[in-house]
Amino acid sequence: MFPAPIEKRSDAAQAMYKSFLPIALFLWLAPLIAVAIFSIKPDADFTTGNYWGLPSTFEGAANYGKVFFESDMPRYLWNSVLITVPTVIGAVALSCMTGFALGVYRFKGNLLIFFMFVAGNFVPFQILMVPVRDLTEQIGLYNTKMGLVLFHVAFQTGFCTLFMRNFIRALPFELIEAARVEGIAEWRIFWYVVLPLMKPAIAALSVLIFTFIWNDYFWAVVLTQGPESQPVTAGITSFNAQYRAAFHLMSAGAIVAALPPVAMFFAMQKHFIAGLTLGAVK
Amino acid sequence: MDNPAIQGLITIIVGVGGCIGYFYFSNQILDKVIFPARGENAGRNINRANMVRPWLFLFPAIFALGLYLGYPVFETLRLSLTDRVPGGYEWAGLSNYSQMFSEPKFWEAIRNNMLWLIIVPAVSTGFGLLAAQLTDRISWGNVAKSLIFMPMAISLVGASVIFKLIYDARPADTAQIGVMNAVWMQFEGGIGSILFLQLLPSLILLCFATFVAYFGYVFLRPMWQRDGGHSAALLPLRILVAVAAVLLVWECASSALGLWTASFPYGEPQQWLTIPFWNSFLLMVVLIWIQTGFAMVILSAALRGIPEETVEAAIVDGANPFQIFFKIKVPQIIGTIVVVWTTITLTVLKVFDIVFAMTNGQWETQVLANYMYDKLFRANDWGVGSASAIIIMLMVMPILVWNVYNVRKEMR
Repeated sequence: MFPAPIEKRSDAAQAMYKSFLPIALFLWLAPLIAVAIFSIKPDADFTTGNYWGLPSTFEGAANYGKVFFESDMPRYLWNSVLITVPTVIGAVALSCMTGFALGVYRFKGNLLIFFMFVAGNFVPFQILMVPVRDLTEQIGLYNTKMGLVLFHVAFQTGFCTLFMRNFIRALPFELIEAARVEGIAEWRIFWYVVLPLMKPAIAALSVLIFTFIWNDYFWAVVLTQGPESQPVTAGITSFNAQYRAAFHLMSAGAIVAALPPVAMFFAMQKHFIAGLTLGAVK
Repeated sequence: MDNPAIQGLITIIVGVGGCIGYFYFSNQILDKVIFPARGENAGRNINRANMVRPWLFLFPAIFALGLYLGYPVFETLRLSLTDRVPGGYEWAGLSNYSQMFSEPKFWEAIRNNMLWLIIVPAVSTGFGLLAAQLTDRISWGNVAKSLIFMPMAISLVGASVIFKLIYDARPADTAQIGVMNAVWMQFEGGIGSILFLQLLPSLILLCFATFVAYFGYVFLRPMWQRDGGHSAALLPLRILVAVAAVLLVWECASSALGLWTASFPYGEPQQWLTIPFWNSFLLMVVLIWIQTGFAMVILSAALRGIPEETVEAAIVDGANPFQIFFKIKVPQIIGTIVVVWTTITLTVLKVFDIVFAMTNGQWETQVLANYMYDKLFRANDWGVGSASAIIIMLMVMPILVWNVYNVRKEMR
């Protein structure tokens, strides 16, 4: 790198720079670190006021065991999985098709529909609340996972289509033309030519949508209630109401609820960032 | 456990199978049955089939969006103009709106939303830019970036739960579990307290005020520069910005002054979230904590894209690091900064989870989205709730129009 590398600056500046970053980083993550430490402390530490010291005994297994075996947490988690995975698959499958149609074909109304998708992307979701709730109630899907999945698929399709369309537009169009010249049916072009090329976009979008849906709270409380069908974001609030004063359990619960998307993020970091960058810089 | 698992699996199979089946069969029917590519009209049929095909691909998405997005928008608009009476609806005109405008809670929500809109995007983008620049050139920069970015993967509710713990308070004679109060109890009114609680915040406020003043000045300058070629269309916007800037500077200055005249209740643990006005800022911290990672990732990609030559040229000309950053780098990524800023602005307009989970709009922290939720589900007043939803929509509208306009411009 051209601007004078940090090694060439004066010692004092270097020391400041090098120590500033870890300190800032530590402060940034302090909330998480605190919660992580809380979650392995025994109950006694909280009654004696030993909040900030090291845990007097390691109770991680007991605390997390309680979360997993003596609360509704596993059910909430499982609900989240059952809501998130079908949504991701549905939204991605749908948007591959629409993205293909908008990116490849030139037809009347193409631009208009594209602008509609752009606009739909910006509609604040609160405005949909009452009608969507009524609609879900009328179809008989209120307080079911299915109702949430259907809505999420429909709502995410707008963003996903934009994403896919822009990605397909950037693909070499000659490939499609060559296939057409060969006389290959359009649906085969989509299936055998375009879809394989879209793998990176599909991966990026899946990771992105997974975190969006997993972290959704608003629709979870609007469309569902109770441990029968609520995902873990809603579950964590009732979990906290149940264990109001038990900080070690609340912390363990918070960590358990946050773990899947965080794990997903670290495992698929490249795709996640690619997705965000592609999605933001339209 | 088995039953829901199988159910979920079936849902997935049916969904995906339905998608593929729809896609395959609709195309087959189009090509083989409706417009077969043989017989005397083969050429015309192929053309026709190709005209219909895009709509086959588009139909499911358009149907879903129409049902769950298009229809609800208009339905909400209708609800906002009606009252629910036993057995149906009654046309109410604008009475819901006038009722809403007369409620102090609504204006409190608007004021707080404005505060959120100014502060969260600005601070998140600023921090993001700073983090992107600082981690750009160190060996463990990528690790640092991942860690800064990590909060983004946590849900807003999860983050709120964590931060609630930080702001928690215990009786005065016991140890404090909340970090804020644990730190607060260290202050006793000595020199350290003056330094950290009065001098430092005043300086930060004054710096911010200076920045706002400078920003306003830059915005207003073209008005008295005859040759600046300013357009009359921008005049209202300029005046608006100027007024906002003056108000902000005034707020900052009076707050800075207030820091010196107020007497702090040292030694008493504070219920931070119940202190009006300042508690809004404590809620904003949560969103800033989450959004900074997003800003950093996008901006660091943009910073990498800057041509090295421009930076080299500036160094050869003897520019210092600050000049390089503000005069060479920032202008080149200003487009990305604007995109990040608008994206975060949109998130802020919709902010609900944080307020709902932490204060539920009590102690003057109400925001529009939570106000709406309150009206709809607690007060059961659908008319006013829908009216406030329409207000949120109106606030998003300029960003929406601006984005569509930009996309169109790019296409030409």
